[in-house]
Amino acid sequence: MAAAEPKLPEQLPVTQPRHVGKDSPRMEDPLMVTGKVEYGNDIRAPGMLHAAILRSPHAHALIKSIDASRAEKLPGVAAVLTGKEVKSWSRPVFGVPEGWTGYALAVEKTHWVGEPVAVIAATDRYIAEDALELIEVEYEPLETVADALKAVTGEGPYVLEGKQSNVAYDRKFSFGDVPGSFAAADVIVRERFRWHRSSGNPIETCVCIADWNPVTGMLTLRGSHRSPHLILPALVISLGVSSQQVRIIQSPLGGSFGVKTFARYVILISLMAKKLKGRAVKWTEDRIEHLIGSSTHAWDRHYECALALKQDGTVTGMKMELIDDLGAFSEWLAIGMLLKPLLCLGSCYRIPNVEYACKGLVTNKTPQGPLRAFGLPPHFWVLEQLLDVAAKKLGLERNEIRRRNFIKKEEFPYVSPSGNVYDSGDYEGSLKLLLEKSGYDRLLKEQEKARSEGRLVGLGVVSSIEPGLTGPPMLALAAPRIFSRTSSPEGILVRIDGFGKLIAELGFPPGGQSQHSFVRQILADYFGVELEDVQVITVDSLSMQPSTGPISSSMAIALTGAVLGAAARLADKLKRVAAVMLEARADDIELLDGQFRVRGVPGKTLAAAQVSQFMMARPDLLPEGIDGNPEATYVWNPPDRTIPDERGFGRYSVTAAGAQHLCMVEVDRATGQVKILKYVMVDDCGVRLNPSVVRGMLMGGMAHGVGAALLEEYVYDENGQMLTSSYMDYLLPTIMEVPAAEEHEMCTPSPIAPLGVKGVGEGALHTTPAAVLCAVNDALEPLGIRITEAPMSPLRVWKALQGASR
Amino acid sequence: MKPPRFDYYDPRTLQEALEILDAHQGDGKVLAGGQSLMPLLNMRLARPKVVVDINRIQALSYIRPMESGVAIGANARQRALQQENLIAERLPLLREAAYYIAHPQIRSRGTICGSLAHADPAAELPALAMALDAELVATGLRGARTIPSDSFFLSFFTTDLQPNEILTEVRFPAPPKDMAWSILEVSRRHGDFALVGIVAGLAVDQERQAVTDARLIYFGVGPTPIRVKQAERALIGQRPAEAAWDAAARVAGQGIDPSNDIHATEEYRRAVAATLTKRALRAALGKLKDLNASTGSA
Amino acid sequence: MATSRTVKVRVNGVDHEATVEARKTLVDFLREDLGLTGTNVGCEHGVCGACTILMNGETVRSCIMLAVQADGAELMTVEGLAQPGGELHPIQESFRDKHGLQCGFCTPGFLMTTYELLSKHPHADEEEIKEWLSGNLCRCTGYQDILESVKLAATRLRNP
Repeated sequence: MAAAEPKLPEQLPVTQPRHVGKDSPRMEDPLMVTGKVEYGNDIRAPGMLHAAILRSPHAHALIKSIDASRAEKLPGVAAVLTGKEVKSWSRPVFGVPEGWTGYALAVEKTHWVGEPVAVIAATDRYIAEDALELIEVEYEPLETVADALKAVTGEGPYVLEGKQSNVAYDRKFSFGDVPGSFAAADVIVRERFRWHRSSGNPIETCVCIADWNPVTGMLTLRGSHRSPHLILPALVISLGVSSQQVRIIQSPLGGSFGVKTFARYVILISLMAKKLKGRAVKWTEDRIEHLIGSSTHAWDRHYECALALKQDGTVTGMKMELIDDLGAFSEWLAIGMLLKPLLCLGSCYRIPNVEYACKGLVTNKTPQGPLRAFGLPPHFWVLEQLLDVAAKKLGLERNEIRRRNFIKKEEFPYVSPSGNVYDSGDYEGSLKLLLEKSGYDRLLKEQEKARSEGRLVGLGVVSSIEPGLTGPPMLALAAPRIFSRTSSPEGILVRIDGFGKLIAELGFPPGGQSQHSFVRQILADYFGVELEDVQVITVDSLSMQPSTGPISSSMAIALTGAVLGAAARLADKLKRVAAVMLEARADDIELLDGQFRVRGVPGKTLAAAQVSQFMMARPDLLPEGIDGNPEATYVWNPPDRTIPDERGFGRYSVTAAGAQHLCMVEVDRATGQVKILKYVMVDDCGVRLNPSVVRGMLMGGMAHGVGAALLEEYVYDENGQMLTSSYMDYLLPTIMEVPAAEEHEMCTPSPIAPLGVKGVGEGALHTTPAAVLCAVNDALEPLGIRITEAPMSPLRVWKALQGASR
Repeated sequence: MKPPRFDYYDPRTLQEALEILDAHQGDGKVLAGGQSLMPLLNMRLARPKVVVDINRIQALSYIRPMESGVAIGANARQRALQQENLIAERLPLLREAAYYIAHPQIRSRGTICGSLAHADPAAELPALAMALDAELVATGLRGARTIPSDSFFLSFFTTDLQPNEILTEVRFPAPPKDMAWSILEVSRRHGDFALVGIVAGLAVDQERQAVTDARLIYFGVGPTPIRVKQAERALIGQRPAEAAWDAAARVAGQGIDPSNDIHATEEYRRAVAATLTKRALRAALGKLKDLNASTGSA
Repeated sequence: MATSRTVKVRVNGVDHEATVEARKTLVDFLREDLGLTGTNVGCEHGVCGACTILMNGETVRSCIMLAVQADGAELMTVEGLAQPGGELHPIQESFRDKHGLQCGFCTPGFLMTTYELLSKHPHADEEEIKEWLSGNLCRCTGYQDILESVKLAATRLRNP
């Protein structure tokens, strides 16, 4: 069902959009800048209690006994929940592959420092924390599994009860003739890489308010939840609740970056609510809990990678072996982050023969959880760094080797070796724009001059793609029983009220991506009304249409599809009513620029408001089959996706946005500090519904990428103790560390997605780490050294400098 | 992350505050700016039975001239370093250094004396106190005693201050007129504690082109700020140029006592301390030249 | 001596009086006792800046102050920026116009920092603005649009 490029007025019934494609003001902002938006932590329910969680101080220990009697007696304490109840009331937390998780609370033993061991509910959080100190737990420490490379050997100890292995997932994918390509190569480059774990760290932590009514059996959840379609099955599986008995009311999110599904804690707080028999209980994760305890860490990776090339720079083959330290459990959908590279193994490049082997290991560290860009940033870094190495070896300019391997503009739609389809792109054009806009030739001269002065100045020029709207198909490779589905439904309801105003109901709340504003822009254009005439609200999980929400760079695509679908259905209804009002045939009525009129007949026109008012006022005059309800729903689904076959060959995503970034750095030879001197990006995400919002996404992703490349790292000692449990040591970039980047737009509309948009929400995080890290290595190049470990902290850079031959 | 229970006092006079502290025999903690204590309370890493909030003791809120230097009371905020003319005139180094101390929202509450009493070895103010020969006034019920900065800091977060004493004042004498100063640090981000930092002072006899005096105080490289006198001596009498800086940098590494943490190793800190020695001395010399250009030509 | 206290504060021009535990942080007091939930909690150890408010005209981290310490003080929170009738303050307008926010959670802290900065340094240059904003973390915007918002606000406040 591939459509052509966006056409007006076929897709949007306007001759010229007034809002779509413009820097439209956001409807989220007025509440946010006045402090009136109600985030999860702002919610207070009558009689609400507050939960605090006791966490394991040991990475791996048997729980010999728990005595909560003193805590229970503290005035203000309502209940204490321990492993015994959790085990009898629930099943282990959902995870893929199945069988590699534990309960929401440690039962027989603890698996990482920070694992929940008990939960207290009290009249306020202060008292709840007082009570935590009164719980006595007797631990018997066990040998810790703190190193994935040791864990992979198969020898014990084992993290999970009943397992004789720490390898949760082990899979090799091969496309084309990889041995042949390496045998016939003129040049082979290979390298090991290490990417340390970091995370999303939204400034708002996770919040869950649970209320389990013993009379009705209804479990109501409020707070900073994302994606009820993911949380609900987890609750059904773990708690055995009946789906219609669960109501999830989503609050606006103070950022998510992947982490706000937090199923473990939703289960845990729900169980506490069960124990409280009808009193609501709130858990607000504090920052230390967020850093040590939640399933928020991501990508703890060891790579071994090789490229096979011809003398002219053509990459003919790639082998990538990945070991990822998943932490204590293969919890939730974390395994998907190992699989996502299958969507774009060769990134922007035509690499015909690819082998990708990935292993997911469990160790006594915090379990991984979903993170923005879902595993691709390290993948692209490794590939781009090897391209730089190969270019040097072959005597090619860095951009030349990339040009020679880029998928060409005329080769789209491009079917990748793993079967995924890139819808459109112009990577060479984007690179050209980047080099022009950044003054690349001048930068090279500056670099040359700096080097002649003994300064370590380097450039990174890298490419990536951002697969738009991924989801179940890739997870089918790890859990076919559950994820053999091609759908990622996004549904919406659109209504015109008796005053002619438009109302849209979404299945997800504001969370930074401007989702409500997009809907408003599109609807205002569709029906020719002002922005102020459109209201957009979030509805709860029992009222909403099937919805996937803003995950996996999908929102602009799926939501646009949903809004346009619902608007078209509503317009069709209104056309049939307008036909009565204009005394014409329904087929002859058209909607253009907000006016219903008889096609080809000048004269009387009707606004949507007039038609809807008539529709509600005069049921006696409505045509057959039309009720007096001016509303419509539509559930959009991605076209053309397939379930991968046993080789891993499938069509996984919908769009492929492309990005090219340039980074110039200077390394301080004496201190190892890296300073970003210049940063320029070109992004091609097709049609931009709201350019300033897209720019904001890209800038935010870039900043996140700077953090991952230079600052952010969860550090553990050999006993599995986490050494970065506060913001004093886990370092988010501030305005001082993030460069003043330039952003330039390239637009290759998607031929598949509605209005030609492409997913861009995960944004520049795909590309920035590679740009920064390649730039650092370029700076070090005259010294004959190369760093293959990220983040490149001053200490790591300095250590490498000590090994320089000069 | 909520503080444990404690008894809270906010006396109006120093006498009252001292009586409360004295009555609680080491179970009390003085709360001034709170920028270090409050995070520790929130994390329950500090668990005093009694918190004595001295913010309401008006008599301790001052920055005033003292001989040719400045006396700073316990309730004077770090922001004052950037705002008070007296500091700008008499102790421009403190004004310059304030930029490195956290962020404006911290400096608005954080006190100068509080930072000194907290004695984080990676903080700027203890090193500045050492560099400028500050004296610290510890007051107890039996009276006040004056402690030179080089015997005030004992170890990590440990000072000569007794549990029943309050650091009521720090006195910064005016530094020698002919001395120029610089402060430099390497930290992971702007406003973070230093991995390695240095306060350097330099005086040069212009005619002889020889260093006549030098001060080198390092922070973040030991349990306290460390003055490396060997390195200072290596400079005296030398021509103020790279060879002298190199010599001082070489010696500096021997005088410090750095340790390992996740952000830096002992070796890293030694190497960076050497580098900062050279950079700080270059910067100080530059200022000395500016100083001479503005006054010397007259 | 006491483990709880009566606190009198003026917040956004309105007087409040409440009895609180001495250990209660100022931000919890504002949010829970006074219902002023516009000020957000992000880290509770004084790093992220989300809880930044004005106390007697100066920005402070309200997560690392005790409510009892604010007794007698004049406080201003994000709720005090707009006119009572709803008209946005030029700083709020500028953040909106320059897309200086995405999820909005860190925004109140940035707005309050900007308020003090531009009250005291109406001609702040880019380096000064960055120095002031370096104490506030934002995870969404990458700071560029926030910087532009503050510059626009400065211009607007200088030329009302």
